[in-house]
Amino acid sequence: MVQETAEAAKPFVMDATFWTATIIFFLAYAVIVSEKVHKTIVAIVGASLMLVLKILEQYEAFHVEELGVDWNVIFLLIGMMTIINILRPTGFFEYIAIKSAKIGRGEPLRIMMVLFIVTAVLSAMLDNVTTVLLIVPVTFLICDALEVNPIPFLIMQVMASNIGGTATLIGDPPNIMIASKAKLNFMDFIIHLTPAVIIMMVVMLVLIRVVFGRRLKTREELKERIMQMNEREAIKDPVLLKKSLFVLGIVLTGFVFHGVLHYEPATIALFGAGLLLLLSRTHNPHHYLAEIEWPTIFFFIGLFIIVGGVVKVGLIKWMSLKVLEITQGNLFATSMIIMWFSAVASAIVDNIPYVATMNPLVIDMAKQLWPHETGISLLQHSELMPVWWSLALGACLGGNGSPIGASANVIVVGMSERAGQKISFVRFLMYGAPIMVLTVFISMIYVWLRYYVIGF
Amino acid sequence: MRAREIMEPIKDVLRPDNTLKEAVNRMRVLQRGAGMGVKGMMVLDDEGRLVGMLSIKDILKVIIPDYMTMSELGEFAWDGMLEEMCKKVEGRRVSEIMTTDVITVDEDAPLMEVADLIVKHNLQRVPVTGKDGKPVGIIYVRDLYYAIVKALLEES
Repeated sequence: MVQETAEAAKPFVMDATFWTATIIFFLAYAVIVSEKVHKTIVAIVGASLMLVLKILEQYEAFHVEELGVDWNVIFLLIGMMTIINILRPTGFFEYIAIKSAKIGRGEPLRIMMVLFIVTAVLSAMLDNVTTVLLIVPVTFLICDALEVNPIPFLIMQVMASNIGGTATLIGDPPNIMIASKAKLNFMDFIIHLTPAVIIMMVVMLVLIRVVFGRRLKTREELKERIMQMNEREAIKDPVLLKKSLFVLGIVLTGFVFHGVLHYEPATIALFGAGLLLLLSRTHNPHHYLAEIEWPTIFFFIGLFIIVGGVVKVGLIKWMSLKVLEITQGNLFATSMIIMWFSAVASAIVDNIPYVATMNPLVIDMAKQLWPHETGISLLQHSELMPVWWSLALGACLGGNGSPIGASANVIVVGMSERAGQKISFVRFLMYGAPIMVLTVFISMIYVWLRYYVIGF
Repeated sequence: MRAREIMEPIKDVLRPDNTLKEAVNRMRVLQRGAGMGVKGMMVLDDEGRLVGMLSIKDILKVIIPDYMTMSELGEFAWDGMLEEMCKKVEGRRVSEIMTTDVITVDEDAPLMEVADLIVKHNLQRVPVTGKDGKPVGIIYVRDLYYAIVKALLEES
């Protein structure tokens, strides 16, 4: 800890170390954007360079919170992924999707709306990629049964997964990262972001009705196909399903109370993963653990170290000073700029590296503004809170802006192409870009009204 | 014995740009030795080079929609679904459906090599290639089996 304060106090110099770290940082980001090398490899190589070139000591990368890997994020992801890997093959998602179609009584518009809500809710509680990965095949089936074009359904599901993911701490990686850095708990997100997401959902449902109401039609005998499907047949392992839902219930309850109980979210997720592995009575956990998205986990690890390097040499601090210069310390302006910039940036580049960079930048900015505050009173300074929410809203919702804006988008576009229903870049943009602008606009009004007009 | 001695001559082949419908029709018409129907055909390009094989397995795979292989959804199929899917894919080109990594055997290969390939790769048929690498015939599992029967019975 002594080391950290010494680092913070160190005068800022643009020496050789500074430039080396800066070059590694920008080069890594450029290669990630170019997609010439897999992003995980770029992150690992960039991180190892930070260490080999002694910009960061290994100790700092592995053990110092401000400079290195955020293990809270890593183990929260690992825990949740393990739980989902056990839940997946039980047929839970397929059951929900077929059930939704029946709730929609075989009516395409109604099914689109129900699936939109279901996808958003599942994405808020679980990860977006798993949700779309399992809902999309059923959507294809339903659309074939009803003889309607599946593409609008798929795009709306992607939108729902990114909007729904914005609502909770565990819904989307940017939120997980922001929560960990700013020491925000699950209920903070429910109180501050969920209302905004509910407003967006209502607006979106009205829009779906207006846009697709007339276009989506099917014949009575085709609706019968849906009504004759028995969703119970989707469930492959009812016993494991019950166990999974039981543990998921405990985990979600744990998240609700983790702030009060003083547990980190990762503790809750890891406990849930351990409990479910135990209850599953498997003798070979290899399969469940192997399916954890290790490339994503290592992408995070690498990025944390790369960002740690540029934090240590002062690049991030320098950038935060520039932001303050532009906004002249006006935090409302800062919030709005961060929100829109985050949205556009997340639509173009991966939002994970973006947020990994923005988190320390926001903290450095806070340190300039309130030099006498430390700890929670600095991280959660009442005037800083809208900035965190703006970052979360922008980075999550920006994911909708383009086919490469979020992992769920890339997955669905890929699945669609394999199924012979290619979603072109432009077609996606025609839906995604206006929806991104609309939802960020709603967020802007929300943040302005709630934090700067009403002041709550 | 060698591959050349038990292979059957090439009677008809498919072109990569044939549609699925045309392919199925040619396969239906074509009879191989002993009057049995053909369940797989070679696909040759204009120069007579082997570019792929089309079997009924490949055709089944293209009829089953991709989303059903992505997920366990077999229980939710409806009556008439197969026929609808057939209509959807009838225009697909042979080149999109065929298996491209074809295992072939040289015409001078000993039968044991053919047997080994068939078992190792779980094949139903193996194209036989001549000196220039172009196909000259085809061996079906049954052709090989006849050779085995012959060897066993002659011995006793």
